[in-house]
Amino acid sequence: MASPIRVLTAVPICDGHDSAINTINLEFIRHGVEVVYLGYHRYAEDIVRAAIQEDVRAVGISSYNGGHVEFFAEVVKQLRKRGADDIAVFGGGGGTITHDDQRVMQKRGVDKIFFAGTSLTDMVGFVHERYGKAHKHNGRNGAPADMKLARKLTAIEDGYADGTKKQRNSKAAIRSQRSKIRNTKVIGFTGPGGAGKTTLIDELVLRLLQRDAKSRIAILSHDPSVVGAGALLGDRATMINSQHDRVFMRSMATRGQAGGLSPATADCLQLLAQSGFDYVIIETVGTGQEAMPFQSKLVDQTVLVMNPDYGARLQLQKIVMLDLADIIVVNKSDQDRARTAMSEIGRRVEQNGREQRVLATVAKRHRDGGVDQLCDLLTPLVRPMAKTSKKGQPK
Amino acid sequence: MSKLGSVVEAVDKYNKFVEDEVRRARTDKKFGQQMVNRWNEIKAKIPFGSAPTGLKLPRLALPEIDEAGDIARYLLGDGLPGEFPFLNGAYREMYLEPLQNPAIEIGAYEKNGHNGKSQNNGSKNGAKNSAKAQQAEEPTRLFSGLMLAEDTNERFHFLGAHQRSKRLSTAFDGPTLYGIDSDAPGILGKIGEGGVAVDTVEDMVRLYDGFDLGSPDFSASMTISGPAPIIMAMYIAAAKRRFGNDIVPKLRGTIQADIFKEVQAQNETIFPVEASLRFLTDMMEFTTREMPRWYPVSISGYHIGEAGSTPVQQAAYTLSNGFAYAEMMAARGIPVDEFGPRLSFFLDCGLDVEYIALTRVSRRIWAIGMRDAFGAGHKAQMFKVHTQTSGRSLVAAEFKNNLTRTAAELMLSYMNGTNSCHSNSADEPFTTPSEEWIRLAAHGQAILLDESGIFKHTMNMLSGSPGMKAVERAVEAAILEEFRQIEELGGVVAAIEHRYQRSQIQNAAHRYEQQIYDGTRPIIALNKYRNANEEPPEMELARTPKAKKQLQVDRLKQFKKKNAAKAEKVLEKLAAVAESDKNCFPTLLEAAEVCSLGQISACLQEVVGRFRPMV
Repeated sequence: MASPIRVLTAVPICDGHDSAINTINLEFIRHGVEVVYLGYHRYAEDIVRAAIQEDVRAVGISSYNGGHVEFFAEVVKQLRKRGADDIAVFGGGGGTITHDDQRVMQKRGVDKIFFAGTSLTDMVGFVHERYGKAHKHNGRNGAPADMKLARKLTAIEDGYADGTKKQRNSKAAIRSQRSKIRNTKVIGFTGPGGAGKTTLIDELVLRLLQRDAKSRIAILSHDPSVVGAGALLGDRATMINSQHDRVFMRSMATRGQAGGLSPATADCLQLLAQSGFDYVIIETVGTGQEAMPFQSKLVDQTVLVMNPDYGARLQLQKIVMLDLADIIVVNKSDQDRARTAMSEIGRRVEQNGREQRVLATVAKRHRDGGVDQLCDLLTPLVRPMAKTSKKGQPK
Repeated sequence: MSKLGSVVEAVDKYNKFVEDEVRRARTDKKFGQQMVNRWNEIKAKIPFGSAPTGLKLPRLALPEIDEAGDIARYLLGDGLPGEFPFLNGAYREMYLEPLQNPAIEIGAYEKNGHNGKSQNNGSKNGAKNSAKAQQAEEPTRLFSGLMLAEDTNERFHFLGAHQRSKRLSTAFDGPTLYGIDSDAPGILGKIGEGGVAVDTVEDMVRLYDGFDLGSPDFSASMTISGPAPIIMAMYIAAAKRRFGNDIVPKLRGTIQADIFKEVQAQNETIFPVEASLRFLTDMMEFTTREMPRWYPVSISGYHIGEAGSTPVQQAAYTLSNGFAYAEMMAARGIPVDEFGPRLSFFLDCGLDVEYIALTRVSRRIWAIGMRDAFGAGHKAQMFKVHTQTSGRSLVAAEFKNNLTRTAAELMLSYMNGTNSCHSNSADEPFTTPSEEWIRLAAHGQAILLDESGIFKHTMNMLSGSPGMKAVERAVEAAILEEFRQIEELGGVVAAIEHRYQRSQIQNAAHRYEQQIYDGTRPIIALNKYRNANEEPPEMELARTPKAKKQLQVDRLKQFKKKNAAKAEKVLEKLAAVAESDKNCFPTLLEAAEVCSLGQISACLQEVVGRFRPMV
C-alpha cells in the first residue's frame, strides 16, 4: 500500500479564522489524508519551514482576513528559495478571494484556489487527484540539510507503508550504531492523553534553545491514525517555541500500530540520532497502562508525564511505565489533587528501589520552576553557557 | 461549586417559586384576588395610540388571561417589559413611536426607561441613551475601519456628516488585533486590511480627529480584545493629548475586551488566559472607578455563533462567560451594583428557530442569576444587548438574497427586544462592506422600524403566544443543561482548559457544513435552486495600496526613534509592575504615551509569556 498523502494546513499571520480549516481538516483525515496542522496566526516563514521538515506534498492555506495575494505569494517564493518548489500551494478564503485575485495568485505560482460554495467532497477529490503521487525528485543538489533529512525520513516511512521494509528486532544493530553517537542525547516522552506532554516538550525546547545558543534539537512527535487511515498531526499548532530554525520537527502518524509509535519510528529515530542534533526528543501518542513504548536502547532517558487526576491509588500499581521511566513528571500540579498525587507516586516508585526522579510541573505557566528542574535533570553535561541562561528567572 | 452552579440553582429555584406562586394564587383566595386586581390595574393604565390608518391599539399587548394562577405565571415568570425577570424586554417601552400627547403616557404608568430605535453603528450600548428618549436614534451605521487612521477618520466624517449623534464603531486590522507593530517582519500585506492600522497614540489621535470625545453625543466603540487594555490606554492617552486630563471621566464608549470568547472561538488572544484576564480586570477596575460612562467589556456571543456554534451554545457560553467576569470583578472587591450595569452583551442572530426567543431567554437567565446568585440590584440585573445579523448565514452565490436573509434576522432581533442592532451588508461574503451595500443594510432597519408598523404601535407583540412560549421553554432548558456540563468540568475557566467550548463549537460547525453538503440544511442558490451559470459579481473592493502600508511603517519607525529613551524607561517600569501583583493599568497609561502597541505587548509577553493556541 502506498503511503497516505501528507499535506500541511495553516491560517496566515494575524488571522484567527479557523472554523473553515477545522472542518476541512476533519474531512481530509476521514478520507485518508495525513494533515499536519500548523494552526492559525502563522508566519509564512513558519509554514515554509514546517512544510519542508514534514516533507508534505502540498500546503493548504485558509485566509479570511485579507492580504492573501501577498501572503500566498510569499509562501510560494520562500518554498522556491529553499529548493522546495515541488511542494504545491493551494487554499481558499470563502468570498474574500476574488476571481481577479486568483488570477494574480496563480500567476505567482499558487496551484489552486477554492471559491465559496466548493463542496468538501470536491476538495478531498482534488487533493487525492492532484497530490496522490509522490514528489518527482528527492531533494536536489544543494538542497538544504533540513530538506535532505526530511526526504530520507519520508523514504523510511514509505518503505514501511509499501512493505519493502520490515520492522527489525535487532537491538544489537541499534546499539552498535548508538555507540558511534556521542553528542546526541535521545529523550523519550510518554504518558496518558491530556497530561500535557506537548506543552511540556515545547517549554523544554524553549529552555534548551536559551541555555545554549548553538544547540540543535529534533522532535519526533506521534499522533494516532484514525479510521479511514488519515491522521490529524496537530502538535505543531500548540508548540509556539518549537517554530525555530534550530528545531527540526517531524510529525508521524501511527499508521495502524498499537503502543503509541509508528512502524517506522525506530529507523527514523536512528536517522535523527545520527544527524548531528544535540537533543532528539520523541513523543508518543497518549498511552494507556501498557509497558514502555520505547525499546530500552532507543532512548537515553525516558520521561513519563502524568496528570494528577489518575483516579484511585490502586490504578498506580497497574502502570508499568512507572517502573521503567527515569523521570516521572506530575504535570498540572496546580490542581487540587497534585499534592496527593506526588506523595502516592513517590511511594509507588520507592518500591522499585532504583534511582527515579519525581517532579511536579505546571507546563502551561510561563517560566515554571518545575520545568526548569526537568531541564536541569536532562542536561547534566552542560556545555559553555550562553549568556541568556538564567538571567531574569523569577525566584 | 463555581458561581455558575449557583446560577443554575437560582434559575431552578426561581422556576419552582413561580409555580408555587401559581398554586398559591389558585388556592389562597386573598392572594389570588391581589393578583387579579393588579392585573386589572395594569390593563387599565395602558395608553392607546393610533396607527396611520386610524386603527387604535394599546401600547402594551398583554395575553388575554383573567385567572389568578395564569396571571401570576405571566407577571412573575415572564415579567412586564422593564420588570424582573425581563423576559419581555429590558425597558418598559422600546421602538415605539412617541405619543402625540406625552402627558397621557407619562401619567399612565411608571416609566422606568425608554430605549431608542436602531443604532446601526456597531455600538453595544444603546440602552444608556435612555435619557434622550424622545429623540429617535438615527439608524445610519457609522462602522468603519480601513487602511490608515486618517482614511478611517475620513470615512467616519463622511458617514456622520448629517448625524446629530456621532457613534463610531472601529474595526482594527489584523496586526493591531494581535498586538503586533506594522513594522514587524512578515506582516506588510496585512496592514490596513479588514480594519484600521493603529500602532501608536499618534494614530489614535488621527483616528478620531475632529470629533469631540467628551461630548454626550459622542461615543466610540472599539472591536478589539487581545490587546484591549493597551488600546484602551492609547485611547485615553489620545483623548488627554487633545482635551487635557479632565476629559477622562467624560469618555463614553465600549471596548470589546472579551478574552473568553477569543479563547473559545475567535482566536485573537496574545497572552496566556490567566494573564489576559488579569490585565482585563486591571482595566475594568480602572474604568469602573474613573470612567463611569464607559463599557469596559462587551460579552460577545457573536463570534461564537460565527465560528459555527448552535444558537443554544452561543447563548450558554456567552452567559456563562458573563457570570465568570462578574465573579472576577466581585473577587476584586468591586460591588456588583457598580460593575454590573457596565457589563453589556453582543449576540449573533441567524435564521434557526431558536433565534425567535434566544435573547429573551438570555435576558431572563441573566437577571435571575445576577439577582439571586450575585445579589445585584435592578440596574445590574438588566441584560443589555447589541445584536448583529449573522455573517455566517450570508453566501456568495446570488448574493443579493442576503438582503432577504438579513431582513428576516433583523425582524427576529427586534422581536427579541434588542437594545441596538447592526445589519450586515449583502456584500459581506466578499469584502469589507462597500458604501452602496452599507446604505441598503441601514435602510433595512429603517424600513422595519420607521416605515412598517410592526414595532411602532404595540410592545410585546408575540409575548405569551404558544409558539414563542414553546421555544422559550426548550431554549432555556437547553442552556441550563449546557451550564451543568460546564459546571461539571469545574466552571468556565476549567472547561476552557479542557477545550470543552472549542470542541463543542467545532463539532457544531462541522455538522452545519455537512448538513449543507448533504442538503438537509437548504441554503437557497447554494444547495437549492442553484443557478449553474452564475457569473461572479463585479465588486468594488477595499484594499490598502502599498504606498499607504509603507507610510504606516515609516511613521512608526519615526515615533520609535523619537521616543526611544523614554520608552525604554517606562517599559522597564511596566515589566516590574507586571511582575508584581499591582494593577498594571496606570503604568499602561504612561507607556501608551511613548511606546508602540508592539513594544508594550512584547514587554508584557516577556513577563507573562505568549498565548499557546488551542487546536
